[in-house]
Amino acid sequence: MTAAIAVGALVAAGVFLILGRSLIRVAFGFILLGHAVNLLLMAAGGLGRRGAPIIGPDGQPPPSPADPLPQAFVLTAIVISFGTTVYLLGLARAQRRGDQSDDAGSPP
Amino acid sequence: MVLVLALAGMAGLAVLAPILARLLGRDAGYVLAAGFVAVAGLLGTAGPEVLAGEATTASWPWLPRFGVSLTLRLDGLSALFCVLVLGVGALILSYCPRYLKPEHSHGSIYFQLTAFGGGMLGLVLAGDLVLLYVFWELTSVLSFFLIGSVGARGNAPAVRALLVTTMGGLALLTAIVLVAARLGTTDLAAVLAARDQVLATPLGDTVAALVIVAAFTKSAQAPFSFWLPGAMVAITPVSAYLHAATMVKAGIYLLLRFTTVYAGQPGWSLTLLAVGLVTAILGALRALREHDLKSLLAYSTVSQLGLLVAAIGVGTTVALAAAVLHTFAHALFKATLFMLVGIIDREAGSRDIRQISGLRRVMPVTATLTGIAGLSLAGVAPLIGFVSKESLFEGFASATVFPGAGAVAAALAVAASALTFAYGVRLLYGAFAGPTMQRTLYEPSWLFLAPAGIAALASAVLGPGVVVLNPLMHRAIRDVEPWGTPPSFQLWHGFSLELVLSGATIALGSVLFLARNRVDRILRHLPEDRGAQRFEGFSAALVRLGAAVGRLDHHRSTWPYLARPVVGLVLLAGAGLGVATGLPGAYPPSRALDWGVVGLLVAAVTTVVLMRTTLGSVAALGSVGLLVTTWFITAGAPDVALTLLLVEILTAVVAAFALRGLPSRLAPVRLSGPPARRSETIRAAVLAVPAGLAAAAGTFALTGRRDPSAAGEYYLDVAEEATGGRNVVNTILVDFRGLDTLGEISVLASVALGLTLLFAGARPAAGRPAPYESLLGPAQRLLAPTIVALSLYLLLRGHDEPGGGFIAALVSGMAVALGALSGGGRFRAARGLRPAPLIATGLLVCAGVGLAVMAAGHPFLTPVKGPLGLSTSLLFDVGVFLLVLGVMVTAVNRFSLAEGFPP
Repeated sequence: MTAAIAVGALVAAGVFLILGRSLIRVAFGFILLGHAVNLLLMAAGGLGRRGAPIIGPDGQPPPSPADPLPQAFVLTAIVISFGTTVYLLGLARAQRRGDQSDDAGSPP
Repeated sequence: MVLVLALAGMAGLAVLAPILARLLGRDAGYVLAAGFVAVAGLLGTAGPEVLAGEATTASWPWLPRFGVSLTLRLDGLSALFCVLVLGVGALILSYCPRYLKPEHSHGSIYFQLTAFGGGMLGLVLAGDLVLLYVFWELTSVLSFFLIGSVGARGNAPAVRALLVTTMGGLALLTAIVLVAARLGTTDLAAVLAARDQVLATPLGDTVAALVIVAAFTKSAQAPFSFWLPGAMVAITPVSAYLHAATMVKAGIYLLLRFTTVYAGQPGWSLTLLAVGLVTAILGALRALREHDLKSLLAYSTVSQLGLLVAAIGVGTTVALAAAVLHTFAHALFKATLFMLVGIIDREAGSRDIRQISGLRRVMPVTATLTGIAGLSLAGVAPLIGFVSKESLFEGFASATVFPGAGAVAAALAVAASALTFAYGVRLLYGAFAGPTMQRTLYEPSWLFLAPAGIAALASAVLGPGVVVLNPLMHRAIRDVEPWGTPPSFQLWHGFSLELVLSGATIALGSVLFLARNRVDRILRHLPEDRGAQRFEGFSAALVRLGAAVGRLDHHRSTWPYLARPVVGLVLLAGAGLGVATGLPGAYPPSRALDWGVVGLLVAAVTTVVLMRTTLGSVAALGSVGLLVTTWFITAGAPDVALTLLLVEILTAVVAAFALRGLPSRLAPVRLSGPPARRSETIRAAVLAVPAGLAAAAGTFALTGRRDPSAAGEYYLDVAEEATGGRNVVNTILVDFRGLDTLGEISVLASVALGLTLLFAGARPAAGRPAPYESLLGPAQRLLAPTIVALSLYLLLRGHDEPGGGFIAALVSGMAVALGALSGGGRFRAARGLRPAPLIATGLLVCAGVGLAVMAAGHPFLTPVKGPLGLSTSLLFDVGVFLLVLGVMVTAVNRFSLAEGFPP
């Protein structure tokens, strides 16, 4: 239930921000949406099993191990979205030379 | 094999053309002409079989599922057109060296002309309709470039020619698709053999209409004829080769091919006959009115093509035979005339028929050659034009498409030919009679005249000697109409109807010529050829319509675009709720800690939305990130949590750099204020709330209700045994799914590349000390070695414990970021750590590891265990570490430098 609430709150806030006028808020909205998707992926693995998927010294996984596959997905997603965030901020920065506005409605 | 060699030879010549032009200048044309002759000789080796009725073919599968193959086929009709393409091509290329001026771009003109020759050869050799279409479009495109190469004045005509001919090309493609759908093959011979099958379907009529449109656009028939006179802005070799002898004959070729299917069909016959004759007469009238020699020849070409189309429409064996012969004759005399007009234009500086009178006295050879070709055009014995004109009359008289069709068609053909005779004689009169206008002219060099001379001589000799052509003509006609008995051409038929019609033509034409002043006065009332203007108007209107349609979806803001997927998501969720019944399994219960984390998360998210300062928003966003991190820890994902934590810190650092100079306050989110603001807030909220509900409902309904996934179980079971690593998530990244990770780091590398380009103009700001240098400087000197040591430790243990290349590199990125913050604008992390080598080394190591194991016989990127419990995946992880570190250095460097943009 909590995962659903968290995803819902992140999506609602993210959508609200990306539909606004401020370019910064649009970027922030996308970061929130990224979090929402990562939570969803993790939830898809099943939140009933929460043992870290690391094999113990005895060669056995912990009791009730979490699904490692969504974790690998999310790990990749986090790094990639970091790359895109950095690039978006770079674009905003490079575009702003001489233009101090933060209006998503104004053409570049 | 011969066919492939011939086409390859043409391609080779095209590639060679620019090189030859650089070495030999404009004289390169002679070498290329020799090449054309050689290719013709090569094809000639297949001549005996072709004349014996055995087509030479070569075929490879191309798209077997659709019945499309790369088939080349040389039969009689193809052979006839090959003779035209290569023969006229060789003449034109040997005409170019003396015609081209030094300022022409020889390399590109020769390349395009030769490539066009190759394309045209491919068109007539194509044994598959799809291949034919490809070459068809190639000739259109090269025609566009050749017309456009004369500069600005060529732009509009070139675009018109391209649009009209490619429109026809699309019609042809549609026809081919229909044929392929019906017959399951696009092999030309198979399609033509399936005549009854094609005719039996309703699609048969559509295919016929589309083929006719394609042919009419290419061969400049009404109402598409306007592009051809416009194309005369091109240099003379182009007009002679493309727009008189070969490319415009591609439509004729197509019609002749499809005659095998459609001969005798009333719709086909009537359309071709009516449009062809109308075009022939209109074109001839316009030609008679022209004083500019090139325009005269252009309209004359339109008119002659009209006669050919009409003759194909008649569809009887005699008419088809006449069309085949006249195609050949016309190419010969029209190319000659164009070349001579080019010479006259070069020497006399004018193309006005009234300016060249009395040319005979100063340029006797040129005038004589013009006379021969002109008489051939006029259809005067004993030239080849006479023979083909007579057979055309015979063909038209044989028309049976409606009662009395023969008489009507023959009468109209006589009318068109009389007009042709009239302007042909005008040409002759201009060259021979009248006072000499320019006495200082002299004959051009024999090299300049030779190509036109050869063609004129051929026109003269092949009239009496037309029997020489009979074997090839017979074969070509049989390929068009396998069931007919082709007639034999000869100069003298005896006293026949055709001779009477020829006599009538000459008599009528002479009257038209003698009464030329009165004729000119009448012709002045003939409406102008406004096709080009109408087409321009049409295309402008189309562009305006496109703009109007596009404007409906053009917004200055980003929100209308971003709203669409959200609306789609909400609708999808709504539909899902409607059909979803009985969710499987029980939802796992939440723990007490979950509620705490989620409560804080909702509060932090609300803060992000409502925060009114940029810095506050960044802080609130960081809080959200940290809470999500906590959530990951509680969900049993330590690696994910660690990565997210580091990414959040680095994002904050980058954002702090990136947001410098942005307004520090954000517009407040509230429902008061100006109505525009208010409605924006309401709009966003109205979409946001259902989207959030939909996402929550989806998460609740679709996740966590099943057993562990088979893939996850598998990894947990075999990870340690297969890879020697105990951290299952990391073994997935570096061992099981190494290729995915390689792709991922390539994305990061391109981000670094993009940033480098974005900030290419940035320079370090001049020695301004960072605000906290006194504090952060020592801190960095103290902390950096510790951080780096920690990161190396994380890298080494990553296979077994939380850590790994990504996390280690992000930790090292902290040291770099700290350095940037403490050093301000003067900071150069690049002193020791240069991003480019780091990224390149990282990529090379990762790819190298993958390739090295291939050398040992394993598939790409398979992890291989080595001594001391180490495996190649550690090396792979080192590559990942280096690359990600390089990206971090790039990001931090570039953003910290960005302050120093030139104003």
